[in-house]
Amino acid sequence: MYKKLLKDDLENFIFILKKFGVVHAPVREAGRVYEFTELTDSKILQLNYTRTMIPPKKFFLKPKEQLYILNRREGFKEIVDDSKIVLLGVHACDINALNLLDRIYIDQFPDRYYKTRRENTIIIGVSCKPDEYCFCTSTNSSYALEGFDLFMHEIDDSYIIRIGSLKGFQIVCESENLLAEASSNDIKEFKRAEAERLKEFTLHLNVNGIQDILDASYDHPVWQENADICFGCGSCNLVCPTCRCYDTADFLNLDLKTGVRVRRWDSCMLKQHGLVAGGLNFRPTRVERLYNRFNCKMSLSEDSLNCVGCGRCTVYCPADINFVEVLKQVGED
Amino acid sequence: MKEPASENKPKIGVFSLTGCAGDQLMILNLEDTLIELLSKFEIKSFQEASSYSENIRLDIAFVEGSVSTEHDLEKLKEIRDKSSLLVAIGDCAVNGCVQAMRNSQTSIAERMLDVYGVEDNIYRALEPKGIGEYVRVDFEIPGCPVEKEEVFNTLISLLNGDPPLIPDYPVCVECKLNGYPCVIIEEGKPCLGPIITAGCDARCPSLGLDCVGCRGPIKGETNAKAELEALRKRGYPDKYIINRLRFFAGNFPDIRILGERKNSKGEK
Amino acid sequence: MTVKNPLTPMEAEIIRVEEMTSIEKLFYLKLTDPQIIGEFHYNPGQFLEVSVPGVGEAPISICDAQREPGQLQLCIRKVGRVTNAIHRLKEGDRLWIRGPYGNGFPMKLMENHNLLLIAGGLGIAPLRSVLQHALLYRTNYGLITVMYGVRCYSMMLFREEFIRLFREGDKLNVKFLLAYEDESDTKCYQLACERSDRCMRGLVTRLIEAATITPDNTYAVICGPPVMYKFVVRELTQRGFTPTQIYMTMERRMKCGVGKCGHCITGSSNSIKYVCKDGPVFTYWDALKTKGLM
Ligand SMILES: Cc1cc2nc3c(=O)[nH]c(=O)nc-3n(C[C@H](O)[C@H](O)[C@H](O)COP(=O)(O)OP(=O)(O)OC[C@H]3O[C@@H](n4cnc5c(N)ncnc54)[C@H](O)[C@@H]3O)c2cc1C
Ligand code: SF4
Ligand code: SF4
Ligand code: SF4
Ligand code: SF4
Ligand code: FES
Repeated sequence: MYKKLLKDDLENFIFILKKFGVVHAPVREAGRVYEFTELTDSKILQLNYTRTMIPPKKFFLKPKEQLYILNRREGFKEIVDDSKIVLLGVHACDINALNLLDRIYIDQFPDRYYKTRRENTIIIGVSCKPDEYCFCTSTNSSYALEGFDLFMHEIDDSYIIRIGSLKGFQIVCESENLLAEASSNDIKEFKRAEAERLKEFTLHLNVNGIQDILDASYDHPVWQENADICFGCGSCNLVCPTCRCYDTADFLNLDLKTGVRVRRWDSCMLKQHGLVAGGLNFRPTRVERLYNRFNCKMSLSEDSLNCVGCGRCTVYCPADINFVEVLKQVGED
Repeated sequence: MKEPASENKPKIGVFSLTGCAGDQLMILNLEDTLIELLSKFEIKSFQEASSYSENIRLDIAFVEGSVSTEHDLEKLKEIRDKSSLLVAIGDCAVNGCVQAMRNSQTSIAERMLDVYGVEDNIYRALEPKGIGEYVRVDFEIPGCPVEKEEVFNTLISLLNGDPPLIPDYPVCVECKLNGYPCVIIEEGKPCLGPIITAGCDARCPSLGLDCVGCRGPIKGETNAKAELEALRKRGYPDKYIINRLRFFAGNFPDIRILGERKNSKGEK
Repeated sequence: MTVKNPLTPMEAEIIRVEEMTSIEKLFYLKLTDPQIIGEFHYNPGQFLEVSVPGVGEAPISICDAQREPGQLQLCIRKVGRVTNAIHRLKEGDRLWIRGPYGNGFPMKLMENHNLLLIAGGLGIAPLRSVLQHALLYRTNYGLITVMYGVRCYSMMLFREEFIRLFREGDKLNVKFLLAYEDESDTKCYQLACERSDRCMRGLVTRLIEAATITPDNTYAVICGPPVMYKFVVRELTQRGFTPTQIYMTMERRMKCGVGKCGHCITGSSNSIKYVCKDGPVFTYWDALKTKGLM
């Protein structure tokens, strides 16, 4: 079941999407970076974007959010957010990143907030072109096989649409008038475009055995060299679509009886991440923190990396620390 | 609005030493919620520290301004002795602030000569330093001026008997949490955010401006060398970067070192 | 009922508070919701996330073995925001808890073995749950040796309970040994005069050196300040304990307890471990394989 949508019909398609939730998509205002925001006018949509600074993770695990209204005597009242959202234009790497986050946030103890939003959000992927920072082919995340409702692949004047879920199928049914069955010629085009795209990747990282390579390279000088110029500012983690660390805090109101429990994204590059009672820190230096970050990114579990090759951590590091370069150095000598 | 003095209200005093902005809490006092909040304390003193003479034990003393004279120091020690908790408010009290910019670059004598045309240390001036250099400080609220929200939350915590939560991470975190574009990366501006204590919700970057460091460097974590390196790469001369770093952080050892090394190199 | 939110704390009443030392108190808790009480089971070595609304949350080990449904004990040292706030609470006040979390000690596996429990300071809290469990099911376990290191008498936790074991443990086939550091401590000195083979001045490792312990049919369980592990493990391996015969519990800045917040991640990429859900109990073998765990 492959469908085809003419680019000229995109605006009408978005109109239909609005029935399923508030549409959010990549836009870039003057002086800003690309970001997923509410699409108030389809003219500002930029489906040909490179990457957003903040990944779509922000819709599921919010940068800052209130978890509970609290009361000294009555305890904690969950704050439920059941808004319906359509995310239009999510890249394959970011979809794969969400699939990785799912393994953490929807497990034996499913996170209510994350899970509810995941269920209430429709994800429509869009194909992309790599820039010099993308290396998702190396992390096996350049193509999304699951974790989306629809996926749109650009070919010439139209999009080939893959259906990834029942909800996606419902959207297709609603947009019957706009969508055609993809012809065998269209499929040929789709394959050609995908093959073309693969050729455009210039950055590659060999991740073969990287887990052991990192384990064995604790003493590698590269950690110290980079720790010298690293701020420990956390930006690399905060823009990473697979970083999932958070911190929580309670705040009381003026009455000293009621308040809120909040959580916000955290980063293992910040010094308090490894601090425990008595002032002992399990990762006191930036060397240890860098080492930890790279190790965490290269392993979610025995069978999976925890990086989708999106390039954000390199692009948004104010110290210009290059993620792939560091890993290459570790791997090569 | 006069509340009856109550036994279990914490007794507080607010004092100012040599301050730059000065009267920090006074300014904030105009806010309704803060008035209500302060009414939950029993305010025993609200004055220039130099006129401090009362003989009451305080639960909490808030001190603003930096120690710049021997007299400041005497008063500060006295306040410390009479208070269970001492909270430094504002950058001057926490770090020595702008006044500390030239510390260790020029001697007091030189500065006296500059300003007053005399070489004697007539005002018994000290190198301006944060109060933590002289007495034990329990909590610090950085900022120039301080953030309303932070003062509010600190007062609430203290009222409730809890140590306040003060951020110990850099401004970059707040840029990212808010999705503000990085002005170093996007525009090459000389932002100090990566080494400066957060808590302002990245106010300057939110306006597209580079952080000037008004909340002071993060204690025990500042990588000043990295800042020098990052801004050099973007074409800023060392002298400019070092002056910029010193503006609010003249008392930080690793920032001092940057300046000293530079000076001695320059002289040779 | 709506889907359960694992982050939502449950209400518990403080039914008793005992002051144990100047910085540690023992809290007896009882869950208030009768519906939850029946489902609430915990094993030795598991921990809770304990909340004081408006102040925050902290991970705390359960320090007893489960007897009454819905009841438990926590031994809490005041060190910061949350623990200080807990110390302000009194009988009849409420605490909010979630859990139990973590793997706990392998009490089943350790059946029919001798137990060697080695604790320093507050580390005795989780080990007390092991001890109580083994005493509750006494016939399932062999000789129990407890080695407990304290700074001084006044810092000793569960004092009456342990001094009774120190004096009368033999009746239960329990050897309770005490090490104390403070040389001017007359009360501990008296204990040392009473039984010089059971109480000595020095660190807890001194007890291992002085005792004749063999690894035969024995599991060692360690808990204490992080610096202690290295020395204790060295003593034990020298005496022939294998890395899988040694269990220990680990601490991290656990914010969630359920494998989400990332604060307890350790290890390098071929051995990432979550202290909260893969632990907090690990074998020495795990520690050898997992960089930075110990
Ligand atoms: C599995 C597990 C079991 C535990 N069991 C027990 C137990 O049974 N009993 C018990 O008493 N404790 C136990 N702990 C330890 C307990 O969790 C901590 O003592 C507690 O989290 C402290 O929380 P707090 O809010 O009181 O302290 P916090 O306010 O978080 O501060 C704790 C300490 O951290 C340091 N710190 C915090 N913030 C900063 C900062 N910004 N800069 C520098 N230093 C800082 C300080 O040194 C302070 O003393 C256990 C921990 C774990 C992980
Ligand atoms: S973004 Fe760069 S400077 Fe900041 S913590 Fe990460 S690696 Fe270090
Ligand atoms: S580690 Fe870097 S490249 Fe990999 S997913 Fe995170 S931000 Fe992207
Ligand atoms: S890299 Fe660091 S911040 Fe990111 S998930 Fe791992 S531990 Fe957390
Ligand atoms: S603008 Fe400044 S504070 Fe913000 S991320 Fe960039 S360097 Fe950090
Ligand atoms: S405590 Fe949050 S992941 Fe382990």
